[in-house]
Amino acid sequence: MAGNTNTLSKEEELKKRSHIALLRSLLPIIGLVVVFVVFNILTKGRMVQKFSMAMTQIYVTMIASTGVFFVMTMGGLDFSQGSILGMASIVVCLVSKTSIPLAIVAGIATGAAIGAINGFFYVNRKIKSFIVTICTMFLFRGIIKYLTSNAPVQGSAKLIMLNTDRMKLICMLVVVVIGFFAFRFTRFGMYLKAIGAGEKAAKFAGIRTDRMKFLVYVLAGAITGFAAFINSIKVGSVTASGGNQVETQILIALVLGGMPISGGAKARFSNIVIGSALYVVLSSGLNMVGLSTQAQQLVQGVVFLVFVAVFADRESLRVIK
Amino acid sequence: MSEVRLQVQNLCKTFGITKAVQNVSFNINKGEVHALIGENGSGKSTLTNMLTGIYTIDSGHFILDGKEIHPKNQVEANNEGVSIIVQELGTLSGLTVAENIFLGHEDRFVKFGIKNTNAMNREAQGLLDKYGFGRIKASAMVDDYNFEDRKLVEIVKATYFQPKIVVIDETTTALSQEGREELYKQMNRIRSEGNTIIFISHDLPEVLRMSDTITCLRDGVYIDTVKSSEIDEDGLKRLMVGREVTGDYYRSDYGEKVSDEVVLTVDNVSVPGQIHDVSFKLHKGEILGFGGLSESGMHEVGKACFGASFDRTGSVTLADGTHINNIPSAIKHSMAYTSKDRDNESVVMNQSIGDNICLPSLDSLTSLPGVLSDRKMKDFANTYAAEMSVKMVDTDQFVSDLSGGNKQKVVLARWIGKDSDILVLDSPTRGIDIKVKQDIYQLMDRMRKSGKSIIMISEELMELIGMCDRILIMKDGAISGELMRSPELDENSLIAKMV
Repeated sequence: MAGNTNTLSKEEELKKRSHIALLRSLLPIIGLVVVFVVFNILTKGRMVQKFSMAMTQIYVTMIASTGVFFVMTMGGLDFSQGSILGMASIVVCLVSKTSIPLAIVAGIATGAAIGAINGFFYVNRKIKSFIVTICTMFLFRGIIKYLTSNAPVQGSAKLIMLNTDRMKLICMLVVVVIGFFAFRFTRFGMYLKAIGAGEKAAKFAGIRTDRMKFLVYVLAGAITGFAAFINSIKVGSVTASGGNQVETQILIALVLGGMPISGGAKARFSNIVIGSALYVVLSSGLNMVGLSTQAQQLVQGVVFLVFVAVFADRESLRVIK
Repeated sequence: MSEVRLQVQNLCKTFGITKAVQNVSFNINKGEVHALIGENGSGKSTLTNMLTGIYTIDSGHFILDGKEIHPKNQVEANNEGVSIIVQELGTLSGLTVAENIFLGHEDRFVKFGIKNTNAMNREAQGLLDKYGFGRIKASAMVDDYNFEDRKLVEIVKATYFQPKIVVIDETTTALSQEGREELYKQMNRIRSEGNTIIFISHDLPEVLRMSDTITCLRDGVYIDTVKSSEIDEDGLKRLMVGREVTGDYYRSDYGEKVSDEVVLTVDNVSVPGQIHDVSFKLHKGEILGFGGLSESGMHEVGKACFGASFDRTGSVTLADGTHINNIPSAIKHSMAYTSKDRDNESVVMNQSIGDNICLPSLDSLTSLPGVLSDRKMKDFANTYAAEMSVKMVDTDQFVSDLSGGNKQKVVLARWIGKDSDILVLDSPTRGIDIKVKQDIYQLMDRMRKSGKSIIMISEELMELIGMCDRILIMKDGAISGELMRSPELDENSLIAKMV
């Protein structure tokens, strides 16, 4: 870029730019407060009263969002999350009849395995991530439908007994705290951001980009595999639509939280927490004011579009890998 | 000869509150090569970008042959008779050569809504043949050609319709000697046809040789217009910098003995389609140069040394016997690399200066094992950004905001911070103004004296001659000659081995 000459005015310009950046970073929080207040007025305070009910939706979304957040920071996308959640939930339900701890491990392993398939085709076969994950989304949705064609897959009764808010809250906190620490205070987070901000240069700075990309898909699958455990204790059984559209919910949640859709250095871990909360308040609020499912989807679509437009990082805009 | 072609009148352009071009006025004549010079960020490209419709004009006028023009895009500019060859790659991937040449002018080949591809290819091939680029096929995908050939395609695209003004923006730094000669030939042809060239270049000898008139800008302000026959290189530097440039440009010593200690041995290294059977040794405290045509394979040699080549055979070995086969092991064993493709391969563009500097050194910037320390990272980044005097607001600023020269400083700061002993510098001064160039040369000289070893790959023969203890010339993927440092060494003795 030629032309940025006057150093003094350049500083001012940067200051102005940082004001805009600050405003952008505050928008999700402001959005959360505004949406929360508006729905409380609309529902005459019912939302506060039923707060814990609304909260039950947040666990799965926030846990699964953590994995997808890593994927998106790296500049990728993952549309197979819903199918991963469905598949892993089936496995959790089946294995839960033998042993609950084993069921948790099996769920994580299932998710990791599907993540490995995504990672393999993305990294080794060099196919764009959204194409790969759309393929695996359909593939595993098909398998889920096949497995549930006669009857929903039932979990053991012990599973449902675990369905307490405390249990789910602890699980969620464990994932989020570990995720936050890894992202913010270890090389893992720096490497992810570097890959998202310029993969080739990251490679030339000594990052094993291919291995990293593969492992992050495995990790995202594993985390959602763990979320499947929470999902299973909540619903107790899996139907053909188990986990359906979770991938879009995650995507909307992250974008509402201020996540730049092309990833990179501007990704913040708070995007997950605020985004998931905003999404849950928005969707349960729309539900409480009595909007039909169709109208709810319409509103979500509009909100999604507005946020993507606001947070698109136009300077670094390019095709998502 | 002195008929005015283009009047630039009171031109202004601001970005935000940055004044990129301030009230600039001067005239450009018919049938001349008019050079625009100035340091990075002096407003040269901003000015020509307004002329060619890439940027809009804030205020002021361009008067071309007595008629005011204000093109809104490049196609409109073309229709007014103005075209541009840009610094970076200006061809579009996924299109054929012919489609690139006639981009925006396809209508000529469209009848009843159907494009006559054959006619387009025929005409494009005719043009290519006429220019002497017959080996480029009009119907082939532009992706099939290398950087150099694509530049030739751009030359055809920008000049086939005999535009009144052709802007050549910093194109020569991306070209090898051969490509430059080709471009010079076309420049002379355009001038002899009575048309005008606006020539932007950092290479002052080239500016003096090629241009008739030279206009200098500094910080967006018009400084002076001079005849190139009436000024020399030092005069130009004075105009650009605004004061006398003193001190050594290149290193000045001759006859110093280089240590016998070998730090890097490259044995029979081959990369399919790029280089074959390259062997050499790098000594402690040595600056080893690699010169050649752009596609001679010299750039690949740098990548191969750094373990970044795909499908490499042969061995790269350090003094202690360690084999370097991938980038992480190269970095771990104190090697550093700066790429010719600075924006893609050297700096992580959309990341902060600080993160860019810290990236390879994260291992040592921890408070507890594995836990990064924000404070240590900040200190580290500040220390080395300051050591390289990177022009910035702070280390949180994104690299994408910086000029080419400053980006290169960030990359060098990263490796100085890592305290690398062996540096592979590919085109370290490409597209960088003289002030920063001088800084980089002096840095290299300091490093050499402190016992670091440097491989310098460059298309600029003068800097190889000025900086290196030894120069290896590459031709067709192999080493074709070796030249030792000497005051008698000149460009011709290098070129003789290159072609």
